[in-house]
Amino acid sequence: MRDGFDVTPRSGEGAGLWFLKILTGFLVIIVLIIHLIVNHLIVEGGLLTYADVVRYYQNPIIPIMEIAFLIFVVTHALMGLRSVLLDLHPSNKVLKLINYGLVVLGVGSIAYGTWLILVIVGRG
Amino acid sequence: MAEHPQKPANLIKWFDPRNKSLGSWAFILNRITGLGLTLYLFLHLIMLGQLARGPEAYDGFIALVKNPIFLVGELLVIAAAFIHGLNGIRIGITSFGIAGGKQKQLFIGLMTVAVIAIVYFAIRMFTH
Amino acid sequence: MTQTWHVTYEIFRKKGDQSTHYDRFEMKVDPDEYVLDGIERIWAFHDRSLVFSHACHHSTCGACGMVVNGVEKLTCITPIRSVTKDGGVIRVQPMRNFPVISDLSVDMTVFYQRMESVGHQPVVSVGFEDSKGKLDSEDDLLRLSDCIECGLCISACPIALTTPAYLGPAVLAGAQQSGDLNPCVLELVDSENGAWRCHSAYECTEVCPSHVDPAWRIMDLRKKLVARRIKKFFGVK
Repeated sequence: MRDGFDVTPRSGEGAGLWFLKILTGFLVIIVLIIHLIVNHLIVEGGLLTYADVVRYYQNPIIPIMEIAFLIFVVTHALMGLRSVLLDLHPSNKVLKLINYGLVVLGVGSIAYGTWLILVIVGRG
Repeated sequence: MAEHPQKPANLIKWFDPRNKSLGSWAFILNRITGLGLTLYLFLHLIMLGQLARGPEAYDGFIALVKNPIFLVGELLVIAAAFIHGLNGIRIGITSFGIAGGKQKQLFIGLMTVAVIAIVYFAIRMFTH
Repeated sequence: MTQTWHVTYEIFRKKGDQSTHYDRFEMKVDPDEYVLDGIERIWAFHDRSLVFSHACHHSTCGACGMVVNGVEKLTCITPIRSVTKDGGVIRVQPMRNFPVISDLSVDMTVFYQRMESVGHQPVVSVGFEDSKGKLDSEDDLLRLSDCIECGLCISACPIALTTPAYLGPAVLAGAQQSGDLNPCVLELVDSENGAWRCHSAYECTEVCPSHVDPAWRIMDLRKKLVARRIKKFFGVK
């Protein structure tokens, strides 16, 4: 910090990430509305048994929608978490660690979730 | 800069709603629900791992979450989702310069919708 | 008819490296006097070592911003009646998010530098409609612009509270007011510590004594920045 202007470049939250957060937030809302309608209004009796879930996933639209939902939600959640962490003043070094950590966590949970969905589809 | 005015204790002061206006309440509420939903997301992913372990594990898990304690937790998640989602709509549209001067009315309106939705889901869940 | 109220001023004190504390002053005041009047009397009759900034006493210079009972106020136009009751307490603290020089006086150097850097015009033509950003060049009469650079919005902002690197509401509003988004200004405002850092708490607009509506201006600035980026993306000049 010199004369009130940050001189060390940091990969904080610029226009791109900010826009991505708004966009994923919007997409989450859209998919969530579809999800709520399908799960609670169209599917009779809800998805409360294993057999129901497996049957539900046989329609190819469902796993595609769920994977998209997973990606949007994880992206939005981790970017939101990062915004909060940014307010705790991480040093450039710590911020770098946070970035790596969040990317690993995000990619990991999306991969895990996708695997889980594909497993369920495969059990049909 | 003569002196860094921020002390470590200041860093969580965004959490302090004293003497704050409606906008700050929205900001604080949005953060708390956001953090809560993030926590739920990962718990949810871990729990759904039961699906991979076969029918008995999953059906046993569903029997467990029909317990009232879990229902209250589920209601909290629904409440957080409505508050965060509807408040998110407000932040999204005001951020693009739409209705910037009407943010308070917008917040009150959207939160009314949230409260109605939460009450509806609460009644539905506990009467079944 | 004038009334007399007994109020207690609790004034934040800080001298050099000494530990900070509050001094209490029992005062007889007229509730229609301003908070700053009481502080001046404390300085005049009780404690000549009290440091505070003030100048014009009619909300034009923006020097006397302080935190009164937890809320940012321009003390020269804040009636005592509006912040306490008879027998009540008026706790006066320096503005937040600025380094404290002494007692109630804060160092606003960085803030003024930033205002200048984004091209905020402190004096505008009388034809200039601050809230619309239109300039009537025919007119050669001048007036002060809405923003008096008091810093109250920066003191109230929850994001400025977490990082001094955030430019702050007044500065972003200044960039929006000037309307001249040249590359230097863009580098400041279209960055992580600029318009994208705002988390929409709207505290700035809440405390602004001059109807600048900084939050609306930040949102408007975002709209302009997004429009610029979209144009740039499609190669439109």
